[in-house]
Amino acid sequence: MVSLETIMFAPALACCVLAMTGYLLSLLVKKVSLARGSTWILAASFVFLSLYLLLAAFHSTGWDYFGSRHFLSIYAWVIAGIYLGLQFKTKTRLLGAFIVPFILLLLIAAAGYGSGKNLVPPQWQSWLTNLHLVLAIAGEALFILATAASAMFIIQNGLLKRKKPGKMGRLLPSLGELDRINHLGLLWGFPLLTIGMIAGTVYAAFVWGGQWPADPKVIWSFAVWAVYGFLLHQRLAIGWKGSRIAILSCVAFLLFLSSALVIRFCFATVHNFI
Amino acid sequence: MKNMIAVVGLNYKTAPIDVLEKLFAGCSREGNFPAVLKAIPGVHEILHLSTCNRVELVVSTDDDLRVLDLLKSFLVRSGALTNNEVSCIYVHRDEDAIRHLFRVASSLDSLVMGEAQILGQVKEAYRWALTENSTGIILNRLMHRAFRTAKRVRTETGIAANPVSVSFAAVELAKKIFGSLAGKKTLIIGAGEMAELTCMHLIGNGAEEITVANRSTAQAEILAEKYHGRAVGLGTLDEVLCDADIVISSTGAPSYVVTEDMVRRCLRKRKNRLLFLVDIAMPRDIDPAADGIENVYLYNIDHLQDIVDENMKSRRRESLKAEQIVHEEVAQYFNWLKELEAVPTIVSLRSKAEGIVRMEMEKASSWMGSLESEDRDKVEALVNGIVNKILHAPMTAMKEESAEFQSQDIVAAARQLFRLDD
Repeated sequence: MVSLETIMFAPALACCVLAMTGYLLSLLVKKVSLARGSTWILAASFVFLSLYLLLAAFHSTGWDYFGSRHFLSIYAWVIAGIYLGLQFKTKTRLLGAFIVPFILLLLIAAAGYGSGKNLVPPQWQSWLTNLHLVLAIAGEALFILATAASAMFIIQNGLLKRKKPGKMGRLLPSLGELDRINHLGLLWGFPLLTIGMIAGTVYAAFVWGGQWPADPKVIWSFAVWAVYGFLLHQRLAIGWKGSRIAILSCVAFLLFLSSALVIRFCFATVHNFI
Repeated sequence: MKNMIAVVGLNYKTAPIDVLEKLFAGCSREGNFPAVLKAIPGVHEILHLSTCNRVELVVSTDDDLRVLDLLKSFLVRSGALTNNEVSCIYVHRDEDAIRHLFRVASSLDSLVMGEAQILGQVKEAYRWALTENSTGIILNRLMHRAFRTAKRVRTETGIAANPVSVSFAAVELAKKIFGSLAGKKTLIIGAGEMAELTCMHLIGNGAEEITVANRSTAQAEILAEKYHGRAVGLGTLDEVLCDADIVISSTGAPSYVVTEDMVRRCLRKRKNRLLFLVDIAMPRDIDPAADGIENVYLYNIDHLQDIVDENMKSRRRESLKAEQIVHEEVAQYFNWLKELEAVPTIVSLRSKAEGIVRMEMEKASSWMGSLESEDRDKVEALVNGIVNKILHAPMTAMKEESAEFQSQDIVAAARQLFRLDD
């Protein structure tokens, strides 16, 4: 029998595909109205996804029930939530064209997992691991947001520097707004990730004792964390702004993405829930 | 007699500017001329549109060319036009007149295609005509249709989307760089006219804190005072440059006023905040090498002109779509106008029939009083039914004929047959 949960997941995915199409069309025909419509469709997708996660959270078997599919869905949910929240503050609908691909990829990956492994094996479940998980996801989602804004900044900057803003330049948000989103993403993402990592570290120190730093995911994560810390420091203290920060944000994100993929496929790690 | 809509006038395409000015002044002197014009025999409704680029009379008249000649001679008289200048006057009739007016309102006929002022001017002309009570059913609907067409053209095409003046192009770029201009500081170097115009648009879009730097402080002060800014000499340029977000330079200096080094130093001081430099001077005021610096966006007059040219091209492309909209609207209005021919006759036919029914029912009221009220209603319904059935055929025929503008004969016949003019 198809559960109510699955019924909720399907429209979430469908709406996301629809929103993605809308955003791409918006880029293609260079009309921001399409992106505006797509943002509403994405909001619908977000609602369905929220219901899906809510149903999962109240599942009879409790926390044990959470698997890879849920993990990926939460990831997508947080990114979508942050993007939509930002739309109240800024008029950067087109940012969706750069954010939604991530959300869609995560949802498609989630759809690929029927039930999957347990997100957190029963023996490790504690409020610290939950905190670790939620904050790490939120931090990374904010970095994705900063990256998407940076990618747009690089394009817009190129158009303006070449003195040919044209239709594309008119379509993309202003440099000032994009730089501000990058700022917000780094400013909020870094502390969240930091606290998340501390939570994980504290838990690991108690439970595993001495051997935890040998985990490749942990080592890579610290490297990525350091890079983002450096970025935020340069931004706040040294006053790096604009294109330099935009390029570095994209590089940092690629580093983060590649590390995640390399670890996923080449190494054995305790963080192997996808 | 058949009705005619006509536009009589001249515009910047047909007449030199001094002729337009002469006529403009002449029309203003004429005083209460809607009344004068309406007194011309054959003129039913009139509207007078007068801007710096055109003087036009929109009229609804009898279908008689002599009326148009009278209107023409009115224009010749008010403008004291010479014989040569009379040839500047054009006359559009019926469909052409409607199309002309719709194109004017939609800014397709303007010097700068897509400009926004003309619609306001047309509306103003109409408002004036309304207070003078010089328009009626035909022109009222014509004007509302013209406004509707203009609105459709603005929203459905990109004809007014992109700036086609250098100063507006600079403002649009500033918005693309900073997002909102609120709180952005503007520095004007050299007190040129173009710089002032750009500055005015920037303020209109929310920019604040104007600083004017000029060789002669006296001139700078005049400009600064106008925009509640402050004036400085060129000596402090280094300092004020660091504070500014938007810099517009238009001095007549033979060499660079702002060097790459100055900009570089500045950017360090302002912690790499974005800086928009506009150089509209010839020869250049700002070293082009400054554009190589990160977070600095330097546009000179040629770059801006390229953008404007590009936008102008896109407006011309959009104007094709706009012409299509005008075409549709003209057809719709013309259809309405055609049907209008038969409408008065249809109305009087109906009211005559209703009058007869009312009279006969009154006559019959003495014996109908003995009927139940339900039966009385039935008799009334029966009578109305018969009348409607009989009138249906002639009324439909008149409507059908009017769609082809050929209803004069049949309308005349109906008036005679039903004795509507007695």
